[in-house]
Amino acid sequence: MSRGKRLASGFILLLLLVLAGFSCASLPPAPADARVVIFHFNDIHGKIDNFAKVAAIVERERQEGGDVYVFCAGDNFTGNPVIDQYQPPGEPMLELLNRLGVDLLTPGNHEFDFGMENLRNFTARARFPLVAANIEAPAGALPQLQPSIVLQTKSGLRIAVFGLIQVEAQNGLPSTHPDRVKGLRFSEPLARARAMKGLRRDGHVFLALTHLGYEDDLRLAKQMPELDVIIGGHSHSRVDPAETVNGVLIAQAGSDNRFLGRVELRLRNGRLVEKKGGLVELKGPLAENAEVKGMIARFNQNPAFARVIVEAPFAIEGRDALGSLMTDAMRAAHGLDIAFQNEGGIRLPRLPEKITLKDVYTLDPFGNQVVEIVMNAEEIRSLISDSFRRGDNIDLQVSGMAYTVRTDSERRIREIVLRGADGTPLPEDRTYRVGVSSYVASSYKFSHRDPGRALGATTADALIRFLENRPDFSIYRGVQRAFQDPPAQGRRY
Amino acid sequence: MHIKVNHKTIEIFSGARVADVLRKYSASTWKQVEKGSKIVCDGHGHEVGLDGELGEGAQLYIKRVPRAEPRS
Repeated sequence: MSRGKRLASGFILLLLLVLAGFSCASLPPAPADARVVIFHFNDIHGKIDNFAKVAAIVERERQEGGDVYVFCAGDNFTGNPVIDQYQPPGEPMLELLNRLGVDLLTPGNHEFDFGMENLRNFTARARFPLVAANIEAPAGALPQLQPSIVLQTKSGLRIAVFGLIQVEAQNGLPSTHPDRVKGLRFSEPLARARAMKGLRRDGHVFLALTHLGYEDDLRLAKQMPELDVIIGGHSHSRVDPAETVNGVLIAQAGSDNRFLGRVELRLRNGRLVEKKGGLVELKGPLAENAEVKGMIARFNQNPAFARVIVEAPFAIEGRDALGSLMTDAMRAAHGLDIAFQNEGGIRLPRLPEKITLKDVYTLDPFGNQVVEIVMNAEEIRSLISDSFRRGDNIDLQVSGMAYTVRTDSERRIREIVLRGADGTPLPEDRTYRVGVSSYVASSYKFSHRDPGRALGATTADALIRFLENRPDFSIYRGVQRAFQDPPAQGRRY
Repeated sequence: MHIKVNHKTIEIFSGARVADVLRKYSASTWKQVEKGSKIVCDGHGHEVGLDGELGEGAQLYIKRVPRAEPRS
């Protein structure tokens, strides 16, 4: 090598050393060798039963020493009525996350499902901070929420973490009902992430804890190679083993507490020399923490389930009455013009006079979302037509209108007559905001130009709200809104 | 929104979950997934839960559940 080349190489080496020193200038001296284990889970959705196993795994690792953390990548609520209907809503999740020793949480879109007041109480009582760089909250609205945090490990390392939550392209809000996030401001997550690049200097490890979904985690990794690790949620992806993209390790642990994620980092003199991640399957016989198991058993005996929501003057019986009640509830909860309920989704023959939460979830157990579709009269006929053909019988109960399916002797549809709630013909020259369950929206074959939108609540939620407001039950005595002409023999009631 | 299932584009309501898209894609495939004989993966081969939330343009693939190795 010539003298000039040697000089140039030396200069470049010196420059790199200076830059390296500059980039770590704010960091304290790091241990010669260190190992960091980060357990993570996401999208639990109230499925608490495996937390006793999670607790045992985490405790065993903590007993071995070293730097051990537990991160949660959002969506703890909504998906298990036993937990969701606790008072206050979601309380078991808070108590269990505190007991597990969660160190950090990024909120998911479903953290807002019980409203801001509930989330404010949750964050105030959490024994861990929350991170989300793309949420701006008024002072005091969400205590402990911060854009980022630098965790100081026992061994003297620093882990810089920022959080991100997904937002919908259409309205710039997370996927929940807009009323539930009033007062908060959200920004586009990947753009906001770029503003967090400076955090790299504050940590030996630089990590994003996200609730974006795997696709956006990939985009984040591609645009931000400064990151060491992304721990994500939202898309319920079982990423096993964790994948390295653009030098960034991406991890996600499925959903519903079926897996526990485990990321392991090895550092030498503060430099990350190895990173890997995988999932621990929680099915099957694993050791359980007895105390947490006891908590889970207690929470699963939710006394709120026996709570009487309302006392009706008589038992509501038959699919016409029950379907009318359910569709009236859907319509009232979301200000819809018309609502439909398929009879296969009515899972009780009668509601007793004293209606409990358990009754509602037995009647409507599927967790279907309410979907709004803007439809004209012809499209409504198309929906009714498909529903009728499924069993040559009335299948859709309705609110906001009535209808008659006229058939010939072969039970082929001749005509579908639509009437408004007042009995007059339904105007054909306008459109209607029609509510159906996500099951009907996805399973039934009908024409509709508007693809529709989920309204961020379940059909059971709508019924609970409706019953809590003590409706006029008298209209459900002998009610019938869906007719067949000539009437079917042996109608199933 | 538009979701691709096994390369076929499905138009469905926004906010639809994996289960909704599968039901719209094919009733028989949905039954197989419900029974557990098939699983759903994203465009990168990762299994996704049936309640998984989807964004515009997401891709899903239906796969057979790999048979367990016989024990000797």
